[in-house]
Amino acid sequence: MSIWEEHPLARRFWKEGRADFPIYDMHGHMGSLNTIHLARAEADQMVAHMRRIGVKHLVFSHHHALFEPSFRNVRAWEICRNHPDILRMYVAINPHYPDHIREDLALFDSWKPFAVGLKLLPDYHQVPLNDRRYEYALRFAAERKLPVLSHTWGGSSCNGYPQLAEVIHKYPGLIFFIAHALFGDWEGAERLVRESAGNVYLELTALPGERGLLERLTASVGSERLLYGTDLPWFDEYQVVGGVLSADITEQDMRNIFYANVERLLGRDW
Amino acid sequence: MRELFFYDSMCAVGLPLTGGTAATTPDELHKEMDRYGIDKALVRHINLPNINAELSNEIVAEFVGNDHSGRIRGVWCILPEQCEELPKPDLLFRRMGESGIAALTLAPFSHRWIPCRLTIGRIMDAAAERHIPVLLDNFTGRWQELYAFLKEFPRNITMIQDRSKHGPDRLIRPLLEAYENLHYVISCHWVPEGIRDLAERYGAERLLYGSNYPIFSQGSMMLSLKQSGLPMDEIRKISGKNLENLLNGAQL
Ligand SMILES: [Zn+2]
Repeated sequence: MSIWEEHPLARRFWKEGRADFPIYDMHGHMGSLNTIHLARAEADQMVAHMRRIGVKHLVFSHHHALFEPSFRNVRAWEICRNHPDILRMYVAINPHYPDHIREDLALFDSWKPFAVGLKLLPDYHQVPLNDRRYEYALRFAAERKLPVLSHTWGGSSCNGYPQLAEVIHKYPGLIFFIAHALFGDWEGAERLVRESAGNVYLELTALPGERGLLERLTASVGSERLLYGTDLPWFDEYQVVGGVLSADITEQDMRNIFYANVERLLGRDW
Repeated sequence: MRELFFYDSMCAVGLPLTGGTAATTPDELHKEMDRYGIDKALVRHINLPNINAELSNEIVAEFVGNDHSGRIRGVWCILPEQCEELPKPDLLFRRMGESGIAALTLAPFSHRWIPCRLTIGRIMDAAAERHIPVLLDNFTGRWQELYAFLKEFPRNITMIQDRSKHGPDRLIRPLLEAYENLHYVISCHWVPEGIRDLAERYGAERLLYGSNYPIFSQGSMMLSLKQSGLPMDEIRKISGKNLENLLNGAQL
């Protein structure tokens, strides 16, 4: 029998399209992008897609807030208010605009409960993560124990292992989500988790479906350190969930990835 | 009996040149297929770009020959005709039929030749005549070359895929619109509800399930297809019926 008939979680998603537990998607975006035709990039379309599979919250950073400095984070907050039950946001940090960072973070508390953390994009903003231009934002997050989701990639000179290791070491209070789990540099990702004080998580966007990878990371750092993410509107929730279900890991590992780790970190009501 | 028949159109086997794992025997592949409920697979040799066609073809024939279940069929690689490294089309196709080989591929960029009418015109015309599918897996990511190739060989039944994870709609839609014999393998089409969009626009007949094993797990795209929102008869076409029809239609 195949996993779709035999495995309790896989069977449920296969037959009913959703499970009886929430999914927290910890890495999303919104809005159009230069390099991809995104047919479902607006809030209503994304929310409809997520409701089918049972995503309880998506935490997103708006593409435009990341790539067009005149599009400010307040607009993402306004979008969240139209979908208060499901959308949450990362405040996008562009290190080239210190005034924007200070202004937006001054509003952070007023953007709660929708604002839950910060999003950094060092490769694209071309500023290494350990540059002092991130200090204000990182300190802000560390003091408040807010999650910071940073784009990472193996071998990158802006968000590769050395820059991450330095920042994680410098801010032990930070809850650090390593987006894409330092894609390709799996040893580096494993070291970052092992050498941390339990505050570092590998976020899985672009990994599920890669053969053998979740098995490896589950064995090396434990599924307690892994977070579900999709880059929605880039990737289909069913592909990502299907990738997790296809991995040869335990049901508890899958539950940790889909929701249990996030609930341990942020609770059930956020 | 399972509700869906799956035929994996994009599957590579053998000992990978640069390490890693892939099935080296039909039994190993069956085990993987059974885990996910894959009924049949069309296999290529994993080191094809790095070894010559005749060696790759020999290894694939041996692999398929060792499969006594009838679940596995193979893909052979072609070369420019002028160097006479492979038999002429008639003989090549006959040997394919005898060896359980159901489709062709080519690796011009690593085998150092130009994919066009000058080099493989005769064999491609013969393949078109006899409805033998041609996998363009080695054109993955080489969009300029792919566009030029399809312009030269619009009559051939062809199969393409993407591997970038970046939604390729801007690149594939013009091709699907222009070439009715072109089929798109969904292995890396991770676009939200993107399978349904393509099927509604170009017809479910144009799409094929394929895993890109061993890079991706064979299970990776199965749920996405099952929950695509398409009617079951269209899902059935994409999961296996289309490929089965294409391969059965080849006159070998
Ligand atoms: Zn992202």
